[in-house]
Amino acid sequence: MGGSFEEKSVWIQLIATVLALAAYSVIAGRMLAAGVTALPAYAALFMVATGLMVVLLVAGLVVAALAGRGRPEGRDERDRLIGWRAESNSGWLLATGVFAAITGMIFSIDNVWIAHLLLLSLFLSEVLGFVMRLVYYRRGV
Amino acid sequence: MTRGKVIVPKMVLQNQIRTLRFMHGEMTQQDLADRIGVSRQTINAIEGGKYSPTLEAAFQIARVFGRPLDEVFQCVVTRGGRV
Repeated sequence: MGGSFEEKSVWIQLIATVLALAAYSVIAGRMLAAGVTALPAYAALFMVATGLMVVLLVAGLVVAALAGRGRPEGRDERDRLIGWRAESNSGWLLATGVFAAITGMIFSIDNVWIAHLLLLSLFLSEVLGFVMRLVYYRRGV
Repeated sequence: MTRGKVIVPKMVLQNQIRTLRFMHGEMTQQDLADRIGVSRQTINAIEGGKYSPTLEAAFQIARVFGRPLDEVFQCVVTRGGRV
Protein backbone atom coordinates (compact mmCIF):
# COMPACT_ATOMS: atom_id res chain seq x y z
CA MET A 1 0.00 0.00 0.00
CA GLY A 2 1.47 3.32 -1.06
CA GLY A 3 -0.34 5.52 1.42
CA SER A 4 1.26 7.84 3.93
CA PHE A 5 1.85 6.70 7.48
CA GLU A 6 -1.16 8.75 8.54
CA GLU A 7 -3.30 6.77 6.15
CA LYS A 8 -1.89 3.48 7.41
CA SER A 9 -2.54 4.49 11.01
CA VAL A 10 -6.16 5.28 10.06
CA TRP A 11 -6.47 1.78 8.59
CA ILE A 12 -5.13 0.27 11.84
CA GLN A 13 -7.53 2.35 13.95
CA LEU A 14 -10.46 1.45 11.69
CA ILE A 15 -9.78 -2.28 11.86
CA ALA A 16 -9.24 -2.15 15.64
CA THR A 17 -12.44 -0.14 16.15
CA VAL A 18 -14.50 -2.48 13.95
CA LEU A 19 -13.14 -5.50 15.85
CA ALA A 20 -13.96 -3.84 19.16
CA LEU A 21 -17.44 -2.94 17.89
CA ALA A 22 -18.00 -6.52 16.73
CA ALA A 23 -16.89 -7.94 20.07
CA TYR A 24 -19.08 -5.46 21.94
CA SER A 25 -22.10 -6.27 19.73
CA VAL A 26 -21.68 -10.03 20.20
CA ILE A 27 -21.33 -9.81 23.99
CA ALA A 28 -24.11 -7.23 24.43
CA GLY A 29 -26.35 -9.13 21.98
CA ARG A 30 -25.92 -12.39 23.87
CA MET A 31 -26.63 -10.70 27.20
CA LEU A 32 -29.74 -9.01 25.82
CA ALA A 33 -30.88 -12.29 24.22
CA ALA A 34 -30.47 -13.96 27.62
CA GLY A 35 -32.82 -11.34 29.05
CA VAL A 36 -30.25 -9.36 31.03
CA THR A 37 -31.64 -5.83 31.27
CA ALA A 38 -30.18 -4.67 34.58
CA LEU A 39 -27.77 -1.82 33.89
CA PRO A 40 -25.19 -2.84 36.56
CA ALA A 41 -24.67 -6.14 34.70
CA TYR A 42 -23.35 -4.18 31.73
CA ALA A 43 -21.09 -1.92 33.78
CA ALA A 44 -17.94 -3.93 33.06
CA LEU A 45 -18.76 -4.17 29.34
CA PHE A 46 -19.42 -0.42 29.08
CA MET A 47 -16.22 0.40 30.93
CA VAL A 48 -14.13 -1.97 28.79
CA ALA A 49 -15.72 -0.66 25.57
CA THR A 50 -15.23 3.00 26.53
CA GLY A 51 -11.69 2.31 27.75
CA LEU A 52 -10.93 0.47 24.52
CA MET A 53 -12.14 3.43 22.48
CA VAL A 54 -9.87 5.79 24.39
CA VAL A 55 -6.92 3.38 24.13
CA LEU A 56 -7.46 2.98 20.36
CA LEU A 57 -7.59 6.72 19.80
CA VAL A 58 -4.53 7.37 21.96
CA ALA A 59 -2.66 4.48 20.30
CA GLY A 60 -3.44 5.94 16.87
CA LEU A 61 -2.12 9.33 17.92
CA VAL A 62 1.01 7.83 19.51
CA VAL A 63 1.76 5.70 16.44
CA ALA A 64 1.27 8.73 14.16
CA ALA A 65 3.48 10.86 16.40
CA LEU A 66 6.22 8.20 16.51
CA ALA A 67 6.10 7.83 12.74
CA GLY A 68 6.29 11.59 12.33
CA ARG A 69 9.58 11.78 14.22
CA GLY A 70 11.58 11.07 11.06
CA ARG A 71 9.59 13.66 9.16
CA PRO A 72 10.13 17.30 10.05
CA GLU A 73 6.52 18.21 9.40
CA GLY A 74 4.68 15.39 11.22
CA ARG A 75 1.06 15.66 10.15
CA ASP A 76 0.97 17.96 7.17
CA GLU A 77 -1.71 20.35 5.93
CA ARG A 78 -3.48 17.68 3.86
CA ASP A 79 -3.68 15.28 6.80
CA ARG A 80 -5.14 18.04 8.98
CA LEU A 81 -7.70 19.07 6.36
CA ILE A 82 -8.77 15.46 5.84
CA GLY A 83 -9.07 14.97 9.62
CA TRP A 84 -11.22 18.10 10.05
CA ARG A 85 -13.46 17.29 7.09
CA ALA A 86 -13.97 13.68 8.18
CA GLU A 87 -14.81 14.80 11.73
CA SER A 88 -17.31 17.38 10.53
CA ASN A 89 -18.96 14.82 8.26
CA SER A 90 -19.18 12.03 10.83
CA GLY A 91 -20.21 14.01 13.91
CA TRP A 92 -23.88 13.92 12.88
CA LEU A 93 -24.00 10.22 13.71
CA LEU A 94 -22.99 10.80 17.31
CA ALA A 95 -25.36 13.79 17.52
CA THR A 96 -28.20 11.62 16.19
CA GLY A 97 -27.41 8.95 18.80
CA VAL A 98 -27.39 11.51 21.62
CA PHE A 99 -30.64 13.03 20.36
CA ALA A 100 -32.24 9.57 20.15
CA ALA A 101 -31.00 8.78 23.67
CA ILE A 102 -32.50 12.01 25.04
CA THR A 103 -35.76 11.21 23.27
CA GLY A 104 -35.63 7.73 24.78
CA MET A 105 -35.17 9.22 28.27
CA ILE A 106 -38.22 11.46 27.73
CA PHE A 107 -40.25 8.36 26.89
CA SER A 108 -38.77 6.50 29.90
CA ILE A 109 -37.12 3.78 27.84
CA ASP A 110 -35.02 1.37 29.86
CA ASN A 111 -31.62 2.88 30.72
CA VAL A 112 -29.77 -0.14 29.40
CA TRP A 113 -31.02 0.60 25.86
CA ILE A 114 -30.05 4.24 26.19
CA ALA A 115 -26.54 3.25 27.28
CA HIS A 116 -26.22 0.82 24.35
CA LEU A 117 -27.48 3.50 21.97
CA LEU A 118 -24.95 6.04 23.20
CA LEU A 119 -22.03 3.62 22.99
CA LEU A 120 -23.07 2.35 19.57
CA SER A 121 -23.41 5.86 18.18
CA LEU A 122 -19.96 6.69 19.58
CA PHE A 123 -18.43 3.59 17.96
CA LEU A 124 -20.24 4.07 14.65
CA SER A 125 -19.35 7.75 14.49
CA GLU A 126 -15.67 6.83 14.92
CA VAL A 127 -15.93 4.13 12.25
CA LEU A 128 -17.61 6.55 9.83
CA GLY A 129 -14.91 9.15 10.56
CA PHE A 130 -12.13 6.65 9.76
CA VAL A 131 -13.90 5.51 6.58
CA MET A 132 -14.36 9.11 5.43
CA ARG A 133 -10.70 9.85 6.07
CA LEU A 134 -9.69 6.86 3.93
CA VAL A 135 -12.08 7.96 1.18
CA TYR A 136 -10.59 11.48 1.23
CA TYR A 137 -7.06 10.06 1.12
CA ARG A 138 -7.94 7.91 -1.90
CA ARG A 139 -10.31 10.16 -3.84
CA GLY A 140 -8.83 13.51 -2.94
CA VAL A 141 -10.13 16.41 -0.92
CA MET B 1 -36.79 44.51 -9.62
CA THR B 2 -35.35 41.46 -11.32
CA ARG B 3 -32.05 40.15 -10.27
CA GLY B 4 -29.80 38.04 -12.48
CA LYS B 5 -29.10 34.53 -11.36
CA VAL B 6 -25.63 34.28 -9.92
CA ILE B 7 -23.68 31.34 -11.21
CA VAL B 8 -20.36 30.87 -9.54
CA PRO B 9 -17.83 29.68 -12.10
CA LYS B 10 -16.31 26.33 -11.34
CA MET B 11 -12.57 26.47 -11.25
CA VAL B 12 -10.05 23.69 -11.48
CA LEU B 13 -6.50 24.12 -10.30
CA GLN B 14 -3.90 22.81 -12.70
CA ASN B 15 -0.18 22.74 -12.13
CA GLN B 16 3.13 22.27 -13.86
CA ILE B 17 4.90 20.58 -10.98
CA ARG B 18 5.72 17.39 -12.90
CA THR B 19 7.31 19.41 -15.74
CA LEU B 20 9.18 21.67 -13.33
CA ARG B 21 10.51 18.67 -11.38
CA PHE B 22 11.75 17.22 -14.67
CA MET B 23 13.43 20.53 -15.55
CA HIS B 24 15.12 20.61 -12.16
CA GLY B 25 17.19 17.48 -12.69
CA GLU B 26 14.29 15.04 -12.29
CA MET B 27 13.72 16.19 -8.73
CA THR B 28 11.82 13.48 -6.87
CA GLN B 29 8.50 14.06 -5.15
CA GLN B 30 10.23 13.21 -1.87
CA ASP B 31 12.90 15.90 -2.45
CA LEU B 32 10.23 18.51 -3.12
CA ALA B 33 8.18 17.31 -0.16
CA ASP B 34 11.19 17.60 2.16
CA ARG B 35 11.88 21.12 0.95
CA ILE B 36 8.39 22.43 1.66
CA GLY B 37 7.65 20.33 4.73
CA VAL B 38 4.86 18.02 3.58
CA SER B 39 4.66 14.31 2.86
CA ARG B 40 5.49 12.75 -0.51
CA GLN B 41 1.86 11.62 -0.75
CA THR B 42 0.71 15.24 -0.45
CA ILE B 43 2.97 16.29 -3.34
CA ASN B 44 1.59 13.35 -5.33
CA ALA B 45 -1.98 14.46 -4.54
CA ILE B 46 -1.21 18.06 -5.56
CA GLU B 47 0.39 16.91 -8.81
CA GLY B 48 -2.57 14.70 -9.60
CA GLY B 49 -5.08 17.47 -8.88
CA LYS B 50 -6.54 15.58 -5.92
CA TYR B 51 -5.63 18.25 -3.40
CA SER B 52 -5.40 22.02 -3.68
CA PRO B 53 -2.52 23.23 -1.51
CA THR B 54 -2.75 26.15 0.88
CA LEU B 55 -1.41 29.48 -0.37
CA GLU B 56 1.65 29.04 1.84
CA ALA B 57 2.48 25.64 0.34
CA ALA B 58 1.80 26.91 -3.19
CA PHE B 59 4.19 29.84 -2.70
CA GLN B 60 6.79 27.51 -1.20
CA ILE B 61 6.59 25.20 -4.21
CA ALA B 62 6.94 28.16 -6.57
CA ARG B 63 9.93 29.40 -4.56
CA VAL B 64 11.65 25.99 -4.77
CA PHE B 65 11.41 26.15 -8.57
CA GLY B 66 12.27 29.86 -8.67
CA ARG B 67 9.14 30.66 -10.68
CA PRO B 68 6.20 33.00 -10.12
CA LEU B 69 3.12 31.35 -8.65
CA ASP B 70 1.09 31.58 -11.85
CA GLU B 71 3.72 29.67 -13.79
CA VAL B 72 3.36 26.77 -11.40
CA PHE B 73 -0.41 26.85 -10.77
CA GLN B 74 -3.14 27.84 -13.18
CA CYS B 75 -6.82 28.24 -12.43
CA VAL B 76 -8.99 27.02 -15.30
CA VAL B 77 -12.66 28.04 -15.44
CA THR B 78 -14.67 25.04 -16.54
CA ARG B 79 -18.16 26.57 -16.43
CA GLY B 80 -18.98 30.16 -17.36
CA GLY B 81 -20.69 32.44 -14.84
CA ARG B 82 -23.40 35.10 -15.26
CA VAL B 83 -24.25 37.77 -12.68
